Amino acid sequence: MDPSKTPKTILEARNLGFQYEGAEARALRGVNFGVERGEFVLLAGPSGCGKTTLCRCLNGLIPHFYPGVQEGEILVDGSNVTSMPTSEVSRKVGYVFQNPENQLFALTVEKDVAFGPENLGLPRSEIRERVDWAMGITGTTELKNLAPYELSGGQQQRVALAGILAMKPSVVVMDEPTSFLDPVTAEEVMKAVDDLRLEHGITVIVVEHRLDLVSRYADRIIVMDSGKVVADGTVQDVLDGQFDQLTGLGVGVPRVSQLWAMLKRDGLVSGQTPKVVEAAAEKLGGKLST
Amino acid sequence: MSRSFVTLRSLEGFKFYGRKTIVHNLDPRAKALFITTVFVVSLLFTNLYVLLGLLIVHVPFLLAAGVLRRWVYSIRAGALLAGIIFFANLLTGSGVLPALALTVRFLVLLTTFSLFFMTTSPDDLGLALDRVGLVRWLSRRWLGFPNALSFTFTTAVRLVPTLAVDAQTVIDAQRSRGLELDKGNILRRIRNYVPILIPLLLVAIRRSLELAEALEARGFPGREDRTSLYELRFKASDYLLVLGSSTVLAVSMWIFVIHPVLRLPF
Ligand SMILES: Nc1ncnc2c1ncn2[C@@H]1O[C@H](COP(=O)(O)OP(=O)(O)OP(=O)(O)O)[C@@H](O)[C@H]1O
Ligand SMILES: [Mg+2]
Repeated sequence: MDPSKTPKTILEARNLGFQYEGAEARALRGVNFGVERGEFVLLAGPSGCGKTTLCRCLNGLIPHFYPGVQEGEILVDGSNVTSMPTSEVSRKVGYVFQNPENQLFALTVEKDVAFGPENLGLPRSEIRERVDWAMGITGTTELKNLAPYELSGGQQQRVALAGILAMKPSVVVMDEPTSFLDPVTAEEVMKAVDDLRLEHGITVIVVEHRLDLVSRYADRIIVMDSGKVVADGTVQDVLDGQFDQLTGLGVGVPRVSQLWAMLKRDGLVSGQTPKVVEAAAEKLGGKLST
Repeated sequence: MSRSFVTLRSLEGFKFYGRKTIVHNLDPRAKALFITTVFVVSLLFTNLYVLLGLLIVHVPFLLAAGVLRRWVYSIRAGALLAGIIFFANLLTGSGVLPALALTVRFLVLLTTFSLFFMTTSPDDLGLALDRVGLVRWLSRRWLGFPNALSFTFTTAVRLVPTLAVDAQTVIDAQRSRGLELDKGNILRRIRNYVPILIPLLLVAIRRSLELAEALEARGFPGREDRTSLYELRFKASDYLLVLGSSTVLAVSMWIFVIHPVLRLPF
């Protein structure tokens, strides 16, 4: 192992391919990328391009839960997870699913958060510590005695996140974690995720159609189409360089970037495409006052 | 509409409500011994006074648990059956007192189960099941790992409210398309439920697949020596209940075997 490389890259996909059993075509083909520790990666692309399939590979649901033919490998923290059982992988890569209701098992929030560590067979004192920590950083401590059905969608999703964090994974993968939530709650959840990353150095990979919601937080965007990576870079660079390709794929680029592109086409503005409203306001403000 | 409301009400008499009374805090294992005792004693003696005594024993527990009112719902639910038991025995010529005794026996059993389920959190029950060697053994035999049965139980309880909401959603959706549930004769009414049951089944299957996936992601089923955040521990009140129940159980059996005279009804 090269000591100068290992500490930075936390997750690496090498030539990853997958075909579901009985499917006509491959859902993933030759996917390569690396993610650095503490990075916030946004995964986008049209429906059916393989985002969910990629997430399933990352946490071992493929090939254990979904049979099919897999190629290539995934390294997490230097170890190859494709050959590990899901229960082992779950300690390295946490997975938050789309529907928050279907990932809560216990009768109270606190016990649900404890569920993962219990499965790991950790000592009681350590479970207690992890549960309190995970509830604390997801803002769910005051919900601890409530039942899952007594929570709002946003609260449920934060509890699901807490349950994953209590397993202390190095990477958290979230597949459209806000699609069941209203915009305000979705914003809250994304904010909570961003805090995690900033304050606890947790690496996050989020699948999200609405770039508006995440462009503010994400360092990087990986865009997929038909099972392949077609763009990979900072959100800024991809918006600047591949804007037309993104809109062509139907990726929900931020509205403010769309506006900017229109103005640019008319020759009214120039330079970097803003990804958040504040950046645009600053640039336009400068223009309007002169 | 009103009829289904009544049946739901009677279920309240068996449903757990999270409270913190001394009865709620009793260990499920101690409570299980208590109901076993009630069960055995009520079957050993067909004596009206013994059975009435058993019924009265429950009153302080119902009061302490604050579930007296909800116990009435369970009794109301059982009233019809109690009436049938009484008259059936009366008509078969067993006399008023024996008929009454058998009816009271039914009420005793109803009460003791109702008390147990109203005051035992499913979570605690799951933990208790996990501690029973036989349950762990059977669970491993049938389902592959020792805590499968207790997990199935708690998850089922957890899913009931969720599935109830699903059911309501499906009913509303089908009603808005013109489905009329309360029309026609009995057979017709049962048939009316088919368009509800099929989508509901599909929703439930989909849910269970997603749950299974999420379970994997949480490291389930985990290790043989799976731990748990909470642990059941016997408190003084549990020892007291166990002591009381086992004494009554032993004495009753002794009386039953040694003094058959007392066994004679009435
Ligand atoms: N369980 C499965 N069995 C067979 N084929 C599947 C399965 N799940 C997905 N696929 C197929 O694999 C391809 C990629 O699907 P995937 O769910 O990864 O897309 P996605 O990018 O997550 O789409 P969306 O944005 O709609 O969630 C699709 O062609 C899909 O039909
Ligand atoms: Mg998807």
